[in-house]
Amino acid sequence: MFKMAVVEIPIGPQHPALHEPIMLRVKAEGEEVVEVSVNTGYNHRGVEKLMEKNSWIRGMYLAGRVCGICNAVHTQTYVQGVEKLMGVEPPPRANYIRTVVMELERIHSHMLISAVVAEIVGFDTLFMLIMRDRERVMYLKDLVTGSRVHADIHIVGGVKRDIDEIRRGKILDELKVIEERLKYYRRVFEEDYTLAKRLTEVGRIKKADALSHCVVGPTLRASGVGSDVRFDDPYAAYSEIPFNVVVRDEGDSWARMMVRLEEALVSVDIVRYALEHLPQGPAVPKAFPRAAKVGEVISRVEAPRGELIYHIVSTGGGNPYRVKIRTPSFLNVVNTEFTYLGHRLADVPVIFASYDPCISCTERVLVIDERRGLRRYLSLRELARWGAT
Amino acid sequence: MAELSVGSYSFREAGPRRYVAPVDLERLREVVELLVREDSYLSMISAVDLPKEGAIELNYVFWSIKHRAAFIVKTRVSRERPVVPTIVDIVPGALGGELETYDLFGVVFEGNARLRRGFLVPEDLTSKGVYPMRKDAGV
Repeated sequence: MFKMAVVEIPIGPQHPALHEPIMLRVKAEGEEVVEVSVNTGYNHRGVEKLMEKNSWIRGMYLAGRVCGICNAVHTQTYVQGVEKLMGVEPPPRANYIRTVVMELERIHSHMLISAVVAEIVGFDTLFMLIMRDRERVMYLKDLVTGSRVHADIHIVGGVKRDIDEIRRGKILDELKVIEERLKYYRRVFEEDYTLAKRLTEVGRIKKADALSHCVVGPTLRASGVGSDVRFDDPYAAYSEIPFNVVVRDEGDSWARMMVRLEEALVSVDIVRYALEHLPQGPAVPKAFPRAAKVGEVISRVEAPRGELIYHIVSTGGGNPYRVKIRTPSFLNVVNTEFTYLGHRLADVPVIFASYDPCISCTERVLVIDERRGLRRYLSLRELARWGAT
Repeated sequence: MAELSVGSYSFREAGPRRYVAPVDLERLREVVELLVREDSYLSMISAVDLPKEGAIELNYVFWSIKHRAAFIVKTRVSRERPVVPTIVDIVPGALGGELETYDLFGVVFEGNARLRRGFLVPEDLTSKGVYPMRKDAGV
């Protein structure tokens, strides 16, 4: 029988089909993928090392900058760990506000990846529409935290800003529109012929494989495992808020997208419930400790992409001794090489995107002086100097 | 403090839904095999460099769906000769964790054929043989 030659095709680290700086080394026999290995290291910034060299409070800002999309969950994981080491308990109102911000983040993150998947399968109009409506969520995040991207609302022992009545009303109103749009997009993903053709039966992960290959989040839940940190290991205000864990059994790229869209709708309900049942009392702490006790803590949070986990070790004093960060994409991207096998080359970007990969890349800050019309990039070193003063 | 037994190993409770057990290096694979049977996945491998004690501490954190709890297996390896048996054949999902720990700490996972430098660390450091997360790396 005629046998095709095996050709190696590097996809990435810069490639129009991938939105992230990573390389998939794909070996293909004709159109069929026979081997994939993931190449990383294009964006390692040494945040863990930086945290060891900076104070507990600066670490909070570093944690928030690990990822641009899911920054509030990173700060939550770090801060709740540090709070345990410092013996601080945040007030109930602060926990509710934290939950609101994190759920808004989940909504916009799930919308973003839905848009990206739509674009990758060639459905550009859907990409534009979802991104337009995602901006509504970004606006709400801006309303609560003062920034549409980096929330930075967490602080040891509470939050930095309280939510007033006017803002609360605005968010509740806007949620109605967002819910309507999310329901529409869920219908599109459910019924659209093109999306179904490109996503169903593509990149399937069986339940047993999902567990042994340690995938997390919507990727795990789309393979029939109902594991959600918010439910299993509650933090912030999740133990007081009723919600469902979305699980599907199909295990393919389509199921992963459906889990995300369902989850975004659940998040709308969580935000609504949290705002309607916002406890009275203080949320912003007047002061917080600067040193932690000796000890270590394993801190877990359900990020939009899955279980986010920090291991924080303290030997006392003003700096952490060790902070280990394991992001959900680290597992979902590195451990899923086997899912590409047997599929066509054109399916590779679709499968890759269905894991909602996030190889975060923020490494500098652009300062714009509007009055003088100046623009200047700041290095991390300069930023750190500002932080010290 | 409460305890929870997995096979012949008892894990000590260290906070809500967290169980810890120190395990000798020789018995690491045995414990991992037992934990995998408890419906759990490997959440992370976290290494802590302890130069004063001449050791690197490895924390294998498992999340058990059955017990709804994290199981932390603690083991130590010498800094001079950091060789640990791999668990990739038991838990394929340990690949990323082992590659990362080797690249950043220089812990060799014996039996893992895919171990290589440059998984995360750039070439200017790997060419000098520096493991940047060690406390004396000078990074």
